[in-house]
Amino acid sequence: MPDRPRARDGQAPDVFRRGGWVPMRMFRDDEAVDFLIVGTGAGGGTLACALAERGFSVVALDAGPFWRPLEDFASDETEQAKLYWRDERISGGEDPISFGSNNSGKAVGGSTVHFQMVSLRFRPEWLKARSLLGYARDWPIAWPEIEPYYEQVEEALKISGPVDFPWGPPRKRYPYRPHPVNAAGLVLARGAEALGISWAPTPLATVSAPRGMAHPCVYRGFCKFGCSTNAKQSALTVWIPRAIQAGAEIRDLAMAGRVEIGGDGLVTGVVYHREGEWRRQRARNVVVAGYSVETPRLLLNSACPAFPDGLANSSGMVGKYLMTHANHAVWGTMDEEIRWNKGPPSLALTEHWNYADDGKDFDGGYAIMSQGPMPAEWANSVAVKHGVWGIALRNRMMLYNRMAGLKIVGETLPQESNRVELAEEEDEYGLPIAKVTYGNCDNDKRLAAHSIRFMTDMMHAAGARDSWSEGGTAHLMGGCRMGDDERDSVTDSDGRTWDIPNLWICDGSLFPTAGGVNPSLTIQALALRIGDRMAALAARGELAGRRGRPSVTGR
Amino acid sequence: MLLGRLITPARGSRRRKPSPQRLLYSSSALLSLSVLGDSGLEHYRGLYRNRAMYVAPTIAAAGLAGAAAGLTGRSGRLPAVAFRSAVVTGLAGVGFHAWNLMKKPGRLRWDRLFYGAPAGAPAALALAGVFGLMAAGRGFPRSRPPPGEAVALVTAIGLGGNIAEVALLHFRGSYQNRFMYLPIAIPGLAAAGLLAEAAWPGKLDGALASLLGATAVLGPLGMVFHSYGVSRNMGGWANFSQNVLSGPPLAAPPSFSGLALAGFAALALRNEEL
Ligand SMILES: Cc1cc2nc3c(=O)[nH]c(=O)nc-3n(C[C@H](O)[C@H](O)[C@H](O)COP(=O)(O)OP(=O)(O)OC[C@H]3O[C@@H](n4cnc5c(N)ncnc54)[C@H](O)[C@@H]3O)c2cc1C
Ligand code: SF4
Repeated sequence: MPDRPRARDGQAPDVFRRGGWVPMRMFRDDEAVDFLIVGTGAGGGTLACALAERGFSVVALDAGPFWRPLEDFASDETEQAKLYWRDERISGGEDPISFGSNNSGKAVGGSTVHFQMVSLRFRPEWLKARSLLGYARDWPIAWPEIEPYYEQVEEALKISGPVDFPWGPPRKRYPYRPHPVNAAGLVLARGAEALGISWAPTPLATVSAPRGMAHPCVYRGFCKFGCSTNAKQSALTVWIPRAIQAGAEIRDLAMAGRVEIGGDGLVTGVVYHREGEWRRQRARNVVVAGYSVETPRLLLNSACPAFPDGLANSSGMVGKYLMTHANHAVWGTMDEEIRWNKGPPSLALTEHWNYADDGKDFDGGYAIMSQGPMPAEWANSVAVKHGVWGIALRNRMMLYNRMAGLKIVGETLPQESNRVELAEEEDEYGLPIAKVTYGNCDNDKRLAAHSIRFMTDMMHAAGARDSWSEGGTAHLMGGCRMGDDERDSVTDSDGRTWDIPNLWICDGSLFPTAGGVNPSLTIQALALRIGDRMAALAARGELAGRRGRPSVTGR
Repeated sequence: MLLGRLITPARGSRRRKPSPQRLLYSSSALLSLSVLGDSGLEHYRGLYRNRAMYVAPTIAAAGLAGAAAGLTGRSGRLPAVAFRSAVVTGLAGVGFHAWNLMKKPGRLRWDRLFYGAPAGAPAALALAGVFGLMAAGRGFPRSRPPPGEAVALVTAIGLGGNIAEVALLHFRGSYQNRFMYLPIAIPGLAAAGLLAEAAWPGKLDGALASLLGATAVLGPLGMVFHSYGVSRNMGGWANFSQNVLSGPPLAAPPSFSGLALAGFAALALRNEEL
C-alpha cells in the first residue's frame, strides 16, 4: 500500500504503463477551482472527466491510493483486500449489511476498481415506479432524459454485450461483441431454456477485443479483486485518464473531513487530510461523490451553526432511504466439470423477472446471473454462511470445479428506517464514523423467497445433483435521494442540493429506488447528465456562487 | 519470393508466365498450408479432445504434399487421392462444425457463431482439393484443362465463403482497427470481378488482375496485422504460448493468397482459350 500520494508534483501514475507517469495540471489550495469533487468512483470520476473536458477547473479528492493495475495488482485474493474501504463502520438493524469487499471501494476509481463489470440499464418504467407500476417512488427524471447518457457511457466503456439484447426498448448495438459464455453461464442458459425464459450473455465493462492500451480480457476471473490486464473498463482506466488529460487534478490519499460554509450560507471549499496534515481547498462548487455511506457521513460531519443538522439536510433526508440489492444465491453440484472461476464471474444472465409483471407476489424485479466465486471467497462463504468446517469443508472444496450457482440482483424497497447516521466513535482522523441501520421489509422477503424458488428450479432443470440457498446483499443506493420536492429529498434532478446552490451530489446515493440491476451504469449516466446540466446552467449564468451572480462559465 | 520462384516455371522454359496448372497447384498448396497451420493450432487449442480433430491437419499435410508433387512435375495416383480426401474431409468438416454449433443450448445465436467451431473454415480444405484436382486434370473428363469460367466461379464462391468467415470474426473483434475492413472490401471486389469474368470473358482483364494481386497481398499483410494483434494481448509476444492461441489466427490470411492464385489461373485459362 503506497504510504505517500503518487499524484503530485505535476504528474500522475499512467495506468497503462508499468512505472509510467502522465503530466497533470496542479492547483493551489487557495485557488478557488470551479469544481471540487470528493470521490473519484463511478459518479465522481465520470463527472471530473465531463467537467474538465468542458474547460472547467476541477480538483478531485480520493481517500484511496492511485493504482497502476499492471504492476500493483496481484493474483491473490487476500492481497487485493487493499482495494476495499475497510475503515470502521457500525452496521446494525434487523438485517445488518456487510461492508468492505461487499460494496465499498477505496481507491482512485472508487468501487469500479473491484466491481464485477455487469453493465445494465434500468427498465424505463422504474424511473416512474409509483406512477406506472404502483410502488415506491418516481424519479425526478424520465427515461428520455437519461437514455442518451446510457448510450454515451456504453460507448465510453466499450461495453461488450450481446448483438441482440432480449429486454427493454430497442437499443443501439453494444460497442463490443459479447464474451464467450463459460460453462457456469451455460448452466444458467440450460436452466432458462428448460423453464422457457430468455437469457443472454451479460453486457460487461471489460473488452472482448483490444482497445487502445487496454488488453482484451484473459478470462482468469480475478475481476472482483482488481483486473491486472486493464481489460476492465473502470473509472480508473477510462474516466480518470481522460479527466487528467483534460486538465483535472486528481489527489489520491486525500480524505475529505468537512465541507466548509461561508458567511453567505454558500460552500467555500473542503477541508481534507493529506500527507499528514489538514489542508483547505477553496472551490466555487463542491460535489460530494463518496457513495451511499460516505456521502451522507460527510454532509452530517460538516454540520455548522448555519446548518446544525448537517449540510443540505433541511428535509431530514440526508442518510435516509438507504438501499441495497438482495443478492440471494442458489448453489448446486454438477456432474460435469464447470471450472466456474474461469472468466468474469457473471457471463450469462436473465432479466426475465425485471420485465415480467405477472406471476409475482412482490413489487419490483430481479435479475439472475451466473456465478464464479474465487476459491478463498467460496471457502469463506461455505464456512461462514453454512458453518461447514474441517474435513467437511475440505470435501466441499474438492467439488469446487464442479460447482455452479445463480445469484440475483434484486430490488429492495426504499424505507426511511434504513439509514446512515453518525456514531459516537471516531476514525483515525478524529471524524465520527458512520452507523448504518438496515432491515428488510415484507416485500423484500417475498422477492427473495420467489427468487430462491425460481433459481432452485433453474438449477435442477440445468442438471444440478443437489442445491442449497443463502441470503446476501450487494451494492448500495440512496442515502441522499434526488426528487421533485425539496421537503422530501436532498437534491433536485441535477444533483444540486435544495439548501445550498453550490453544493452538489453525484453518486449512487442519489437513487430514489434501487431497480433490479447493478447500479454503476446508471450512476455514470447520471454523472454525464449532471455534467451537461452544470454546463448548461453555467452558460445561462445560473451556476452561481450565489443565486443570480455568475461565477463559473467554463469554456 | 519463394512463392514466386515456385510458381514460375523452371529456367529455360520459353514462356515467362506461370501456367494455369502451376497456378492451381500453388493455390492448392497455399490453401492446404493455411488449413494445416490454422486447424493444427486451433485443434491443439481444443486439446484434440476428439480423435477426429487429427484428421483435418493430416489431410491438409497430405494435400500440401500432393500439390508440391504436382509443382515439381511428379503427378500420379497418390496426389489425386490426397486431393479427393481433402474434398471429402473439408465437406465433412463443414458438417461436423455445424453440428458442433447446433448442440449447444438454445437456438443458433450470435455468441455461438462467434465462439463455436467456425462453420466455414473446413471449406478451405475442400477448395484446396478441388484446385488440386483441377490442376491434375482430374474431375473434368471431357476438358483437360478445366474451363476458365469453372475456375473463376469456384474461386469466387471460395472468396465469398472466406469473406463471410472474416466478416463474422472481425465483427466479433468489433472492427476495432479500421484495417479489419480490408479483407472484406478487396476480396469482395475480386470475387465480383471473377463472376463478371465468367460472364463476359476478357472484358476486365487488367482491373481483375490488380484486384487479384491485392487479394494475394492480403495473405502476408494479414499475417503482419495478426502478429500485431497477438502483441496487443496481455504479455504480448513474450507470452506467445498463450497469445498465439488467443490472438487472431496467424495462419488464416494466406488462404486469400491461395484463392487469388486460383483467380490468376482462371485468367490464364481464359487467355489460352481466347
Ligand atoms: C465487489 C463489487 C462488485 C460490484 N459489481 C458491480 C457490477 O458488476 N455492476 C455494477 O453496476 N456495479 C457493481 N458494483 C457497484 C458499483 O461499483 C458501485 O455502485 C459504484 O462504483 C458506486 O459509485 P459511486 O461513485 O457512488 O461510489 P464509488 O465508486 O464507491 O466511489 C466513491 C469514492 O469516494 C471515495 N471517498 C469516500 N469518502 C471520501 C472522503 N471523505 N474523502 C475522500 N474520498 C472519499 C472513496 O474512496 C471511493 O473511491 C460492485 C461493487 C462491488 C464492491
Ligand atoms: S477475467 Fe478479464 S476482466 Fe476479469 S480480471 Fe481477468 S482480464 Fe480482467
